[in-house]
Amino acid sequence: MPYRIVDISDYKISKNSGDILVTYSLGSCVGVVIYDPVIRIGGMIHCMLPLSKVDRNKAEQRPAMFVDTGMQLMLNQLFESGVRKSRLKIAVAGGAHILNDDNLFKIGERNFTVLRKILWKNSMLMNVQDVGGSISRTIRLHVGSGRFTVKSQGTEVHYDLPQKD
Amino acid sequence: MTYLKKIERRIKEFPEMPAMCRTLLQSLEDPDVDFKQLEEQIQYDPGLTSNVLRLANSAYFGATGTVTSLRVALMRLGTRRVTEVVTAIMVSPMMLRSLSGYDLRSQNLLQHSVWVAVASEELAKLMGYRDVKMLFTAGLLHDMGKIILDPFVWEQRDSLLDDGLTQSFDEREREHFGMSHAQAGGALLTKWNIPEEITVTAKWHHDPESVTDYAEQVNMVHLADILGYSEGVGAGIDGMKYNVSPVAHKRLGLKKSDIEYVASVTLDKMNELESLLT
Repeated sequence: MPYRIVDISDYKISKNSGDILVTYSLGSCVGVVIYDPVIRIGGMIHCMLPLSKVDRNKAEQRPAMFVDTGMQLMLNQLFESGVRKSRLKIAVAGGAHILNDDNLFKIGERNFTVLRKILWKNSMLMNVQDVGGSISRTIRLHVGSGRFTVKSQGTEVHYDLPQKD
Repeated sequence: MTYLKKIERRIKEFPEMPAMCRTLLQSLEDPDVDFKQLEEQIQYDPGLTSNVLRLANSAYFGATGTVTSLRVALMRLGTRRVTEVVTAIMVSPMMLRSLSGYDLRSQNLLQHSVWVAVASEELAKLMGYRDVKMLFTAGLLHDMGKIILDPFVWEQRDSLLDDGLTQSFDEREREHFGMSHAQAGGALLTKWNIPEEITVTAKWHHDPESVTDYAEQVNMVHLADILGYSEGVGAGIDGMKYNVSPVAHKRLGLKKSDIEYVASVTLDKMNELESLLT
């Protein structure tokens, strides 16, 4: 099956049932998967930083670098492709922190906080969250089946983004 | 044989630094070195020359206008910068292979190293530190010790990753092997006989509070390294298991937004350099 790699500060949307979207090495970055199980369209984004105000120029060139601009972009595109909010399944992974996380490097926690706010404002619920800790994660979405996996330190956990609640 | 002995032997048997590189690095220490001498040394190798020109024309190192000859590159970028470029070209191939102990795929170590080189320079620029000697190279070579330790990390992987452990990964390496990847890297670079600011930075990059010499280099490479791990760039099994020195960023006077700004500008520059070096 063809892997489609989502790089850091990038996102991809697919409606090819054979595709597997994958993003590697989520540390403090957050990876978000949004999936419509009825029309089987999925999107995956890998955001590095919480808010675009830290570097407006970069946010224009690479909106997916930031949680705020990136989520807005991916959601808009998903809605244009016909996904419905009422059917969406959402999986989130990453937001980890280095061992002795002090104030300076709380990027992971801030990424997750900003993400949660955006989802909450849009009345969207997270179906899967695998966040925090001091581990790095690799996530995959099988577009055809809605299977979502999180791999970390050699172990892989499977979730099925269900067809119905 | 103890791990420490095995590590020492691996360092001893590890290839020497490419001769050209060492000559260039040593000639930088000589205040009388002139462009012409360096030009002669480099142009003897046409492959190297064309690579130097490619990097001299990159957005990252780029001088204004197109650089078409070695002489112009040396004039526009300066001898120190050209030496850093040559070092990057010659040492990068060593960082391409995968390291299964650390769970780094091919190019991951290079990617992380380029991130640290660029982010260190961006930190220096942002905080107004001018002319921190060989900062790019110190960043680029800070993790060479991982190549030395990798087979032993592979052997001890389960024990190194024990969930009950709370120490940082470099401390775990020290406990298991008698030496961390930082110390092993310092020892390798010392064997390579290259300028001290580079070897000291490699050796102390996880313990910046213990060093007084070249404190700027060490602090900046330390923070750039932790930032790279935090963003998952070239991070393996050890990735998030390091400590950040509270002293290092206080000394540099950094704010949260400074760190995030540096991350935002480093990514694309890293991507450019990585593609030019592979």
